[in-house]
Amino acid sequence: MSGPLAPQTRGASLLARASLGLYPPAWRARYGEEVRALLEDSGAGVRAAASLAWHAVPAWVRPPRHLYDGTERMRASLGTVLAAWAVLAGLGAVFAQLTQAQGSAQRLTLVRHPVIQWSYWVFDGAVIVSVLAVAAGGLPLWLRMFREVRGARRRREAACLFAPAVVPAAYLALSAAIAGLVRQAGARVVPWQPRPVVDLANGNLGPWWFLALVLLGFAAAAVSAAGPGLALRRLRPDGPAVTRATGAAGLAAATMVLAGAASIVAAVGLYLWAPAYAGYHESWPLAIYLPAVLLAAATAIVSATRGIRSARSPAMG
Amino acid sequence: MRDRLDRWADPPLLVLASLAEDPKHGYAITQDVADTMGVRLSAGTLYAVISRLESRGLIEPLESDDRRRPYRLTAAGARELAEQSERMHQVSSVAQRRLRANYGWAGA
Repeated sequence: MSGPLAPQTRGASLLARASLGLYPPAWRARYGEEVRALLEDSGAGVRAAASLAWHAVPAWVRPPRHLYDGTERMRASLGTVLAAWAVLAGLGAVFAQLTQAQGSAQRLTLVRHPVIQWSYWVFDGAVIVSVLAVAAGGLPLWLRMFREVRGARRRREAACLFAPAVVPAAYLALSAAIAGLVRQAGARVVPWQPRPVVDLANGNLGPWWFLALVLLGFAAAAVSAAGPGLALRRLRPDGPAVTRATGAAGLAAATMVLAGAASIVAAVGLYLWAPAYAGYHESWPLAIYLPAVLLAAATAIVSATRGIRSARSPAMG
Repeated sequence: MRDRLDRWADPPLLVLASLAEDPKHGYAITQDVADTMGVRLSAGTLYAVISRLESRGLIEPLESDDRRRPYRLTAAGARELAEQSERMHQVSSVAQRRLRANYGWAGA
């Protein structure tokens, strides 16, 4: 319980305390000190660390209801799902740009494997349903918050609410301008044959400009998603609009995850069956794309599940 | 495949049984369960159980100035423990009777 610890024990103790960091903030706020006291009393070991890490998963997926106000939980889930959705949508846009948007003769002759074709169709269908779900669930809530902001003249919150429209529009305009300026120079500078996969999407833009625009796009997506998330935190809307938006967020997350899965199948299919199609003999884009999709999908699904559980029993939270 | 014949030792029941004696904090619960029931509860398991039981209103925390907050059984917790004990007792009685009749088991 006290006295100097052996380095091995000290390491296990630090590991166990670090495992506490895996829990949701509300759980840590309620039980964190008690668990630390228990670890001090019982001597934290690797077993304690592993056990704490393992039980952090259900603490996220099925959070104890007494720790949360139901509506607060839904608002937090909406913010997180929107952020993860924006990342998935961004990844989907990159995927579409590097595959479906290529209208070359190469694509028509080489990318004919049925698995790839089906993956494209599933991807397209899932993205459409997901966008519709966001619009159907998000617009009523957005309008409700907008009315409140307009009545109270809250300019910061208004800026947050308009971020999903203004930021992507600004990004698209900036991208078009950059592409227009850079494209001609790129035609002379990047004469690679065969072209690498990152060079696919841009005509003659060049891989580094393309990567820069992709990163800028993710930054724009993050700001677009953060706007409504901040507005939700500040305005704290409640009622049926929040519940409906939570349900729609679940559908949007599920369909965007389906789109992500379809894009992974298509990308792997291109790597296996159409390596001659542009840059798909390269494996590094997959090595980045796959974990990025999985991480965003896991975040979206876990958070949507938490929100829906709260929506189903708001009185219990 | 993992042998699940140790279901009787479900951690929530062990914690409820421990708190049926008197209010205890986390470390005291693990010590009591280990000493009297022979099961070692890890920190993660114990606090997953405590949060669930508290969420269902089967146990409640007591005021404490210390970080070691004690918990006590609620009336609902006592009822739940009584129901589960009764079930376990039924299973135990049937098993012991049949073991004595068919296997010559002398009993514990």
